[in-house]
Amino acid sequence: MSTPTAFRQRVCEAVADERVVRAVHLATWHKMEARAESMRQLRDPEAIRELAAQIKQHTLENLPHYLEQFVAQVERSGGCVHFAADADTARRIICDIAAAHGTKLAVKAKSMTSEEIHLNDALEAAGVRTVETDLGEFIVQIDHDRPSHIVTPIIHKDRQQIARALVRETGCEYTEDAEELTAIARRYLRDIFRRCDLGITGVNFGVAESGTLCICTNEGNGRMSSTRPRVHVALMGIEKLVPRLRDLPVFLKLLARSSTGQPLTVYTTLVTGPKRVDDPDGPEELHVVLLDNGRSELLTGEFAEVLRCIRCGACLNACPVYRNIGGHAYGSVYPGPIGSLVTPLLQGLDEHAELPRASSLCGACQVVCPVKIDIPGLLVRLRVRTRRSQPLLKRAAIRLWKWMMKSPTRYAWVQWCLSRLLPDCRDGWSRGGPGPLGAWTHCRDLPIPPKQSFRKLWRERLSDER
Amino acid sequence: MIPARMAPHEARVSGCYAELDAVEVALFVTCLTDTFFPRVGEAVVRVLRHFGCRVEFPEGQTCCGQPAFNSGFDAEAAALARRMIPVFEPYEQVVTPSASCATMVKTHFPELLADEARWREAAARLAAKTYEFTTFLREKLDVDIGAHLSFDEPVTFHFPCHAREAYGPDDLHNWLAGGKQADLCVPEHSDLCCGFGGLFAVDYPEISGPMLADRLEDLAASGARLVICNEGGCTLSLAGGAHRRGLPLRFKHVAECLAESLGLMEPER
Amino acid sequence: MNADRSEPRASARAAMAAFIDALRRRLRDFESRASLPQELEQTVRQVVASDDLPTRFTQAATSVGLEVHPASPTDWMDLIGDILRKHDAHSVVVQLDTDSPLGKRAATELGNRLTADGFAPTTALDDETLFSADAAITSVAAAIAETGTIVCTSGPGLARGASLLPPVHVAIVQTSQLVPDQCDYFDQLAGQAGLPANINLITGPSKTADIEGILVTGVHGPRHVHVVLVSP
Repeated sequence: MSTPTAFRQRVCEAVADERVVRAVHLATWHKMEARAESMRQLRDPEAIRELAAQIKQHTLENLPHYLEQFVAQVERSGGCVHFAADADTARRIICDIAAAHGTKLAVKAKSMTSEEIHLNDALEAAGVRTVETDLGEFIVQIDHDRPSHIVTPIIHKDRQQIARALVRETGCEYTEDAEELTAIARRYLRDIFRRCDLGITGVNFGVAESGTLCICTNEGNGRMSSTRPRVHVALMGIEKLVPRLRDLPVFLKLLARSSTGQPLTVYTTLVTGPKRVDDPDGPEELHVVLLDNGRSELLTGEFAEVLRCIRCGACLNACPVYRNIGGHAYGSVYPGPIGSLVTPLLQGLDEHAELPRASSLCGACQVVCPVKIDIPGLLVRLRVRTRRSQPLLKRAAIRLWKWMMKSPTRYAWVQWCLSRLLPDCRDGWSRGGPGPLGAWTHCRDLPIPPKQSFRKLWRERLSDER
Repeated sequence: MIPARMAPHEARVSGCYAELDAVEVALFVTCLTDTFFPRVGEAVVRVLRHFGCRVEFPEGQTCCGQPAFNSGFDAEAAALARRMIPVFEPYEQVVTPSASCATMVKTHFPELLADEARWREAAARLAAKTYEFTTFLREKLDVDIGAHLSFDEPVTFHFPCHAREAYGPDDLHNWLAGGKQADLCVPEHSDLCCGFGGLFAVDYPEISGPMLADRLEDLAASGARLVICNEGGCTLSLAGGAHRRGLPLRFKHVAECLAESLGLMEPER
Repeated sequence: MNADRSEPRASARAAMAAFIDALRRRLRDFESRASLPQELEQTVRQVVASDDLPTRFTQAATSVGLEVHPASPTDWMDLIGDILRKHDAHSVVVQLDTDSPLGKRAATELGNRLTADGFAPTTALDDETLFSADAAITSVAAAIAETGTIVCTSGPGLARGASLLPPVHVAIVQTSQLVPDQCDYFDQLAGQAGLPANINLITGPSKTADIEGILVTGVHGPRHVHVVLVSP
């Protein structure tokens, strides 16, 4: 027996943490119900998903055109566009912008892309205190934890843990009341907002025809971060583009419904350039940082459709694996079914070869995906790419099994063996055994097959009956 | 002559036996059903015969290769596809009690053999004539499944994830609810994986186990002891989990329910 | 803006252009299969113009936690006073777009009225004022019946902070500003020459469910959002 991998160790720890497992079960089922209910409000949910998938796919297939248009429009509206080929370049660009403005304090709205490039560490190293302003991300930050869900980052934490973190950070009085805890964070972050000089946000959709950035948040962290500081840096993956303003309703009607079951996020912010001369407030500079970081490599291959993802988190909520192992076990910024694709594709298949295999391929993710990504199908395609790195014994076993299945005689012999040689532990059921038998019966018994298989039954009785 | 719009089982009732044998069906029983659930295979045969089909069982069949395919072992899966296609070549239609294996044949065989000129068309032909059992009853034989079912105890169901291509959880729900004296106990989550997933259950028992526990909890809480599950893999997993936990759940394929309701088989208790 | 920042800007442009070129080469032999759908509306639209828009708006807005107060041209100021009193608001930012259907004199009239009623209205939009005000009263650019959304934009005399920073936001919506569906609003934007720098579609009070899934309002933005819906 080889030592368990890091992934398997994380899984074992995660499934043993009953409190977190229970919390994640409750939260994900709740969001699934809310999603289902809100999708019913749409006239034809299936058709909208189809439209969304098609618009995104079209944009990806014509990305140079739409990128060019988007860049020109952002610049026309007074923004500055930067291109980052990889995470390192993106961090450098943003640190340079911060340095050019003598930034000491930056605020950040919730952004998965900034997590992907580990931006906070780079800014802190450059002497810029960077404060997360999404409540969940803020708690994660002050508790030196990691987010475990792309939409609700502290799905794994209870209010006692949250309260302790806030007391430690703000010196407030201990309370377990969610409203009071939120009010404490509001007061603390208000002060930060008043003093900060740089705001960093992600982007949900970039509109090519107008150079508009669409940022969706419920708390208002996206609005605050793009309103208060003198400089607004928007970090977006190159795949976030949509061609037209009128494409936005297609996605907006799906995004919040898929995410939390809301018809629309509370704040849908459309940013077109920095503050105008006559505007009383708003950032004087807008920098849009377009991040590739492996995305363009995927455009022409069989995995292109993962770039349609709008990061709604519905696949996480639908996934029975995520529900049981939670977000941390995936060991990546992007957990859940989409993470099991995106992580190996963007960060290397070798280090993350296990993720695509840790799925029952049940397809619950595909059913809810607003842009109809064939997640189970693509997981299988990734498994093809990692078949050679599977344990030798497993590869040999599969080859042996194939050889057995290639002949009806050998196949019947396997049946005979199973029906006669499996140890009978209790009234016709088997348990334990070497290799796959032991793994299968880890959590379930195996019925010993009847001595009369169907084919014997057919030959002996069924074929002649008319 | 059978009137054009007459369903084959109506023809049987009207006594046009001569025409009945025209519906020829090869049974693709699948390795799991063959080995673990022969009674399901028997039920499928009896129900198909009841509705006017002549059923053949090509004995050359083994496994469709799905476990290998799902694990990314394309070459091994393709080898089994190439073996299976000629076995069913002589028959007009192929019916299988497993929606999962039906999808393997209908969707993945053509994908696997897309680059092989020799096999491409044969794979497409097999794909086009292969039917999941309930789909065949509904679409080819015009059978209203619910109308032929009857139950003498409360019943619940497990919807197999891979059946989505063939029918939805609502369809399964409606067939069972339509049965005579049906006391349908709907599980809290009508669409939840049992944790099987082929080699996944063997690769990651640490994950598969809790998933199985979730599903069993739903089924046990439904109040019924009889679970309708049309997928051998799911049944193997769920029944094994129920046995481990001492849960008094029994599992049946809808074909068995039909055969019993129609008096074609003795009820199994 | 500093002159020495033009150089990084030029190099940023060059990097972007080089990437787009490389991408174009990569995609040159790639056959695009997905065309851009032109007909979106018939799939996407949920509310049509012939629907009862004020009712739809009120239902949708109420369900996301906005408080809607039907009003007439003669009593809307009374209603605003009631709302402010309910929240014990004293200092009030008044930000009414002179282009809004309320008319150019509405801001002055409302200011006078609020002063007479004992409130402390102001049209100042500086940080100090916005951060410390008890409430803000704003006009809107539009409202969407489908989702119960109010739309606030930036512009001359229109601060982004007004609908964001004070704990109570009172938005004055004229029924003539209601559009049926998001489709209509975005079509309108697409046809507009030049967009404001900042547009906010506001659908409810600021909210979070990050703490154990418990819904809490007023995280960063206003905790209470009132819509005074004025019918002619």
